[in-house]
Amino acid sequence: MTVYGLLVDYEWCTGCQSCEVSCKEEHGYPVGKWGIRVLEDGPWEIDDTQANWNKIPVPSDLCDLCANRTAQGRQPICVHHCLADVLQYGPVEELVKRFEEKPKQALFVPQFKPKEARGAFVSKNRAAGKVASFAAVAVEANTDFDIAGHRRPDEEVEADMAVSVILTDSIKTRSEDE
Amino acid sequence: MNYVNGRQATSLGETNDLGKPWRYKDGDLTVTRSCPWSPPGCHPVGCGLKLYVDKEGTLVKVEGDENQPITGGRLCVRCITLKDYVYNPSRIIHPQKRDPQFRGQADKWEQITWDEAFDLMVSEVTKVKEKYGPESIVLFTGTGREGGTMKPMGAAVFGTPNYCYTQSGYACYAPRLAGTSYVMGAPDPEIDYAAAFKNRYDEEGYVLSECVILWGKDPLPSNPDGLFGHALIDMMKRGTRLITVDPRLTWLATKADYALRLRPGTDTALAMAMLHVIISEDLYDHDFIEYWTYGFEELAERVATMPPEKAAEITGVPVEDIYGAARMYARAAPAGIAWGLAVDQNPNGSQLGHCILDLMAVTGNIDVPGGQIIGGAGEGQQETGFGWSAMPTETADKMIGLKEFPAYCNAILDAHADMVLETLETEKPYPLRFGYYAGNNLLAATCAAQPKRWHDAMLKSLDYCVTLDCFMTPSAQATCDLFLPLAASPEREGTVANHYGATPTFLGITNKAIDFGEGKSDTEFCYELGKRLNPKVWSKYEDVYAYIKALRFGNKKDFATARKEVGWQREIEYHKFETGKCRQDGKLGFNTPTGRFEFYSTLFQSFGDDPLPYYLEPPYSPQKTPELLEKYPLVLTTGARTYAFFHSENRQIPFCRELNPDPLVEINPALAHRLGIADGQWVRIWNQFGSCKMKAKLTIAVDERTLMAQHGWWFPEADPDKTNPEGEYNVWLANINELVPHFHVGKMGWGAPFKCLLANIEPLNENYDTDMQEIWEKFGKLVR
Ligand code: SF4
Ligand code: SF4
Ligand code: SF4
Repeated sequence: MTVYGLLVDYEWCTGCQSCEVSCKEEHGYPVGKWGIRVLEDGPWEIDDTQANWNKIPVPSDLCDLCANRTAQGRQPICVHHCLADVLQYGPVEELVKRFEEKPKQALFVPQFKPKEARGAFVSKNRAAGKVASFAAVAVEANTDFDIAGHRRPDEEVEADMAVSVILTDSIKTRSEDE
Repeated sequence: MNYVNGRQATSLGETNDLGKPWRYKDGDLTVTRSCPWSPPGCHPVGCGLKLYVDKEGTLVKVEGDENQPITGGRLCVRCITLKDYVYNPSRIIHPQKRDPQFRGQADKWEQITWDEAFDLMVSEVTKVKEKYGPESIVLFTGTGREGGTMKPMGAAVFGTPNYCYTQSGYACYAPRLAGTSYVMGAPDPEIDYAAAFKNRYDEEGYVLSECVILWGKDPLPSNPDGLFGHALIDMMKRGTRLITVDPRLTWLATKADYALRLRPGTDTALAMAMLHVIISEDLYDHDFIEYWTYGFEELAERVATMPPEKAAEITGVPVEDIYGAARMYARAAPAGIAWGLAVDQNPNGSQLGHCILDLMAVTGNIDVPGGQIIGGAGEGQQETGFGWSAMPTETADKMIGLKEFPAYCNAILDAHADMVLETLETEKPYPLRFGYYAGNNLLAATCAAQPKRWHDAMLKSLDYCVTLDCFMTPSAQATCDLFLPLAASPEREGTVANHYGATPTFLGITNKAIDFGEGKSDTEFCYELGKRLNPKVWSKYEDVYAYIKALRFGNKKDFATARKEVGWQREIEYHKFETGKCRQDGKLGFNTPTGRFEFYSTLFQSFGDDPLPYYLEPPYSPQKTPELLEKYPLVLTTGARTYAFFHSENRQIPFCRELNPDPLVEINPALAHRLGIADGQWVRIWNQFGSCKMKAKLTIAVDERTLMAQHGWWFPEADPDKTNPEGEYNVWLANINELVPHFHVGKMGWGAPFKCLLANIEPLNENYDTDMQEIWEKFGKLVR
């Protein structure tokens, strides 16, 4: 299946937000929801003579690559309205070729509503019968069963404690040295 | 790569609407192609729209029209959300009246019919005319709406000379237009983005600008004066390099070879120094100067008084950058300068404008491909004086400010803004009793300094006040007695000439796609009211189309033909001064008293100003008024543009508001840290003239001595009544124009310091954040 994406020439994205608002109008996304957002890195100074300020449109999880429009052969509405003309839509295979034309480009292959796209949980392993199986053996009852804890002889317990005192002392000595 | 209408062909794909007629079917929908303009307000860019209308006549979709030769279907968010404007639940689509004694009371409006509205207009106008004379009528015009350009409304409909753009010093565009007409006899030099050509940048004979200076202009969000801002991006992709002159580090400034970040208001010093570098290093165009200009020696002498070292001290721009930028601009061939509003919003702006024109001239960039394009003889002037002859001379002579500021008042046939405010306050030389808003919302920090003074003066002086608008504004709520519904652009017919027709490369047709409500366009209202108030003049037009034909097409074309073309490029010619096409008398040269481009301006001189440029400090600045620094230690600049809004418009459009929910003031992070201001915290900003509250945005876009505050704010979701302590719709909450003083204009009356003031700032504990859910609930459910 051909994979489609959005190629962004972020050298010239001006942050006009026409993509954001076009997408909302096209899809009826209300206040607070977006199909694409323009992220901003900057301005901050690289040195006295130059500053970094990139605006990068990033499709959200509500970008469906304008399925209704592209089905009719139209370009996505963000591409159509982009004031700086920096968005391109097409098969990823063709878009990647344009990476060689110039620097400062990015390619996005969005996923519309990833949670929905994942679908409800269905165990593939179970469907494929990949579940653990167990030996079919008859087990007898335990006749010598005791719920009480296991007790050791006193001298064994004392020996264990002596070791832990030595350890504590050596930790103390180290921290005093410091 | 293939390009179509200025953009990559691949962006339009193989299925597109190229070549479609002005109206066509797409499935069940009827599509009307249109170049919208006003309202919503915008600069006249003439972007193309496809308006999709269903069988019920409802506008269901808006898309950019790829047939538009300059934009190729690209749109900004304000047209993308056009549906939400048209069908906004707060839109007013019927006339309504209110007894003048109830001004400011939001619940006292009463819906009426248009007939009743016209009757009221006629009786109120007649009353005022009989009692006080026609000059007692004043029009308050705004910007970016057709109403503001409807000059005949003053002279030929109301019969008053007092048509008044209310911004102090007319600090918007007109000072540049006037300066250009004084100095070279043309209205406005625009950069050449090949907008006139079918093949655009690939047209034979066109040469791409190697360098563009953006001087006090951020064209991407503003599309200033109808220049399609993103054409700069088209040009830069093809290789144009940039110099920016702006106190702020804008996004474009980060892409520039030189970002000259000067102290606000000191631009003239920088421009003089750049001229000095170019002249003293012999980087100028000898032929152009020798044959086509006047006063070069005098200019050279004058700018020698401003060496780059001195300018560096004044402006704060590193001296090597002044040299570097001047050399880069002079060596580029061709090169353009796009000058912006900062030229006007400065009392020293006429001199700055003169210097910038001089820069274009000394480098031989005037009227050449890729340099500056200029309109031919008479271009852009026809509409200004339209209907003026209908007024008796003795009435015309009563225009407020005509005697004091003839340069201003005669150039644009406008009453002087600052003097109109004083006339409202003092009733001298005569009272103003009837007001009409022509596309204006002046109280909302748009085009008026000291809006509270305007508010009080209007309430005191005006017996009757009327507005024609789409939405109730705080200005209308506070001061108007009659509200008339205005048709939005999809509901009306009209024209849009880019660059305000001054250097036109495109004429667009606004086509009507829907009927909604009872709105009338400014043109229709002008015509219909004219027929009633001044039938002698208006009976010569048998219908509104005859009026459009005369006003917009110079009687050369019918609207019925024009609408089908939707828009057309206007062929331009270069080197017109060498063919006699710049002068009304058809002789070679420029349309000035000397017939040359005037470095030494004989008209500046005749208006009582210095014929040569000079530097003046802003009226309140660290150098001019150091004694104020203790109280107001920061330089305040206002009004940087956003994509979301056109001045005071679009606040009730949820998807626009969402991009910029709150009024912002930009502050440098280091300064904010010293003052204990956090990012997103609300602050108070104040100076000796006023105070307001905004939300701090921490950014290195401004330096540590400078604040930049947004303008145009009001809150359509807030309490509309005058009992609201922050004023109707919270209009006084974030009103930055309260900090802008009255009447600090240049010698000729032009320019005011909206962008160069002093102020102080402090953090607040309160939070006034906009609740976007409230905006969505109030304005998101469209009414159809
Ligand atoms: S491709 Fe369509 S859905 Fe995706 S961001 Fe652009 S406009 Fe939105
Ligand atoms: S529309 Fe284009 S230029 Fe504008 S923000 Fe989006 S990607 Fe950037
Ligand atoms: S610039 Fe003006 S005409 Fe063009 S899309 Fe924006 S609002 Fe519409």
